[in-house]
Amino acid sequence: MTLATPDKETMDILLELGGEKLKICYQCGTCTGVCPWNLVRDFNVRKIVHQAQLGLVDFEDEDNWTCATCGACVKRCPRGGETIDVMKAIRKVVSEMGAGKVPDSLRISIKNIASLGNPQGEAPEKRADWAQGRDVKTFTPQTEWLYFPCCISAYDAKVKRMALATADILGKLGMDFGILGEKEKCCGESVRKAGGEETFQSLANTNIQTFTESGVKKVLVSSPHCYHTFKNEYPELGAEFEVVHTTQLWAQLLEEKKLNFSREVKKKVVYHDPCYLGRHNDIYDEPRRVLEAIPGVELIEFEDSKQNAICCGGGGGRIWMDTPKGERLCDWRLEQAIELGADVLAVACPYCMLNFDDSVLTLGKEDTIEIKDVSELVLEAI
Amino acid sequence: MGNVESINSPNSILVVGGGISGITAAVEAAEVGYEVILLEKSPYLGGRVARMNQYFPKLCAPYCGLEINFRRIKTNPRIKVFTLAEIENISGKEGDYDVTVKLTPRMVNDNCTACGKCVEVCPVERLNDLNYGMDKTKAIYAPNPLSFPTNYVIDTEVCTGAECSKCVSVCPYEAIDLSMTTESVHMKVGSVVMATGWKPYDATKLDNLGYGKYPNVITNVMMERMAATDGPTQGKIVRPSDGKEVKSIAFVQCAGSRDVNHLPYCSAVCCLGSLKQVTYIQEKNPDAKVFLFYIDIRATGYLEDFYRKVQGYENLSLIKGKVAKIKEDPQTKDLTVEAEDVAQGKKVSEPVEMVVLATGLVPSIADIKIAADITYDDYGFIASQPPGIYAAGCSKRPADVSNSVMDATGAALKAIQSVVAGGQNG
Repeated sequence: MTLATPDKETMDILLELGGEKLKICYQCGTCTGVCPWNLVRDFNVRKIVHQAQLGLVDFEDEDNWTCATCGACVKRCPRGGETIDVMKAIRKVVSEMGAGKVPDSLRISIKNIASLGNPQGEAPEKRADWAQGRDVKTFTPQTEWLYFPCCISAYDAKVKRMALATADILGKLGMDFGILGEKEKCCGESVRKAGGEETFQSLANTNIQTFTESGVKKVLVSSPHCYHTFKNEYPELGAEFEVVHTTQLWAQLLEEKKLNFSREVKKKVVYHDPCYLGRHNDIYDEPRRVLEAIPGVELIEFEDSKQNAICCGGGGGRIWMDTPKGERLCDWRLEQAIELGADVLAVACPYCMLNFDDSVLTLGKEDTIEIKDVSELVLEAI
Repeated sequence: MGNVESINSPNSILVVGGGISGITAAVEAAEVGYEVILLEKSPYLGGRVARMNQYFPKLCAPYCGLEINFRRIKTNPRIKVFTLAEIENISGKEGDYDVTVKLTPRMVNDNCTACGKCVEVCPVERLNDLNYGMDKTKAIYAPNPLSFPTNYVIDTEVCTGAECSKCVSVCPYEAIDLSMTTESVHMKVGSVVMATGWKPYDATKLDNLGYGKYPNVITNVMMERMAATDGPTQGKIVRPSDGKEVKSIAFVQCAGSRDVNHLPYCSAVCCLGSLKQVTYIQEKNPDAKVFLFYIDIRATGYLEDFYRKVQGYENLSLIKGKVAKIKEDPQTKDLTVEAEDVAQGKKVSEPVEMVVLATGLVPSIADIKIAADITYDDYGFIASQPPGIYAAGCSKRPADVSNSVMDATGAALKAIQSVVAGGQNG
């Protein structure tokens, strides 16, 4: 056993970043107990918090980057601790103060976001390409809705089906919407969770300025991550616009009888709660209401659903990092869906879709189960 | 106890609650010469203590002490007992309180000899609240096996009433009177002891622990009844799902307590309560493996000896770690308890046949809104009382029996001072 000396300076920085909440932890281990990572690998959340309390953080530890910020521990913490703030603080010390090494894939993604506004390193002028062949106009101050697809649904060859389905529904319903295309930049939600506070601030300020100058009042998003930061973090920086997630809009239009289904979708569907829609924003019912309203859909539930839902593993910057096979939560969750006998795993987040698409491929389950955004199912039923 | 006349006795002390604290306050005050009125909401005295199998740390039966107290009450003409009695209103000030009490009809008078003939003919069943719903009684029933008063009682919520009357015709002592009605009694008293006690935290709110969803997840108070020879399983510790003798069991400490999402305070008795229940398993199911998950074991003062003793039990694994989740195998109804074993620094999943949740204490008074200038803390415990009203036992904080008894004795003394001072204390 070696004797470690608490580092006062580290402690002070973490306290400042993680706030007073760091001190209240009484080491019960609930966080480790509920953390979904422990379904597939060992990950001791409590230990990281304890090390942070003592100022004994090992900044070179790869586990500093493991937390997917799913919020399962925050929901259950008996002391009301903010574990995610602690993780964020440690990551900030590493990435902005150079206290350790940022994983390569994450470093490159954040660099791309900082320079090009998207993690994939794609050209900004190609951001609207997903809408080619569709009648999607550019947002003007007279347009009612700004549709803001996440970087992934804008650029990813497969995930763009999410944006397309959304645009098609809006088109069919004759709704007034537009996009900002190359003016859109990554919302920065995951960047912030990955410790890139300065990059986040710059992205948020740019987006707020663009939205304000363009006269945006209402934003429709496909990603719960965009939703979370627009709704809860941007207002602190001066944003003043309404934010609506697609599942919320579909639910509202159903209620107003403006959205009506005429076709049957005869499928057994299991809905996967995205962490940032569910636990982070308490939106559990709207997506279910939409799915239940689709004729033919048999909606089934995971044993762990709603606030106990298991994360796909894509939050907190994990979407840009490699997770070894055998340790992927999305694989575990997909197997769970298959065991339930679902034909469709319905998602409501581009990260979940990207992860589950990948799981279907790598596990060879193309003939067993489909991954669909709630919007895709809505479109099929119109 | 029909036809109660109003009581006008400004020198008397009203004790609200007939549990161990209320009984103590009543007996202590009466035995030094003061008039006492003791009110109890249920049909019998003894409260939660009457439903315990054993006390910690001496592991003696609570009824031993209760019987002595009942004798002290019976032989003392200064104590008037009202069961099925609830406070409707208290107003006034020290030395001069006006109290309205609602008396729910028992439907059985003092002629009752507890012969049990009525129970044989009663056609209606009800869940037995004494045993936390683990078994049933008839609509007419003995409040508990060693009940004081011994008179049977009719649950008017389920009794079909005069049209049935089978019990009335079979009773040899004319003890059953279905025409009894609710009465309101007015009293004038000099001071009040609030000994309203506690109730278990609603374990269905702990949705990650499966109570109410998984039959083999029970609570600590249910375990007390299960271990009692006059309980629903005649003292056998068996699984509710199949009646099988339990071979492995987990105790989940702080089930709700010390948790900002539930009860932010420590419930003070659950650590010792579970350690005591470990000895029930040791005695009744000696081969059973026992796991006790805890945040800290709070065995303070002399109670640490008891902790040390139970620690030595070879089939017991004490695991430091708050339980994060309980899962059930839908076929076998076996359970898996998930937690971090903090001492080992890794997550454990322990398969067991039954789980006992050490649910915490909630003040009963939180449900009753009694006037008078009592203030309550954030959790519903009595925080401060005006001169003349004194809280005792668990109405003001979670406490074990010995502390409640000491506290109630103190409250009795204050109540006496209020009566003696005749309103001059404040």
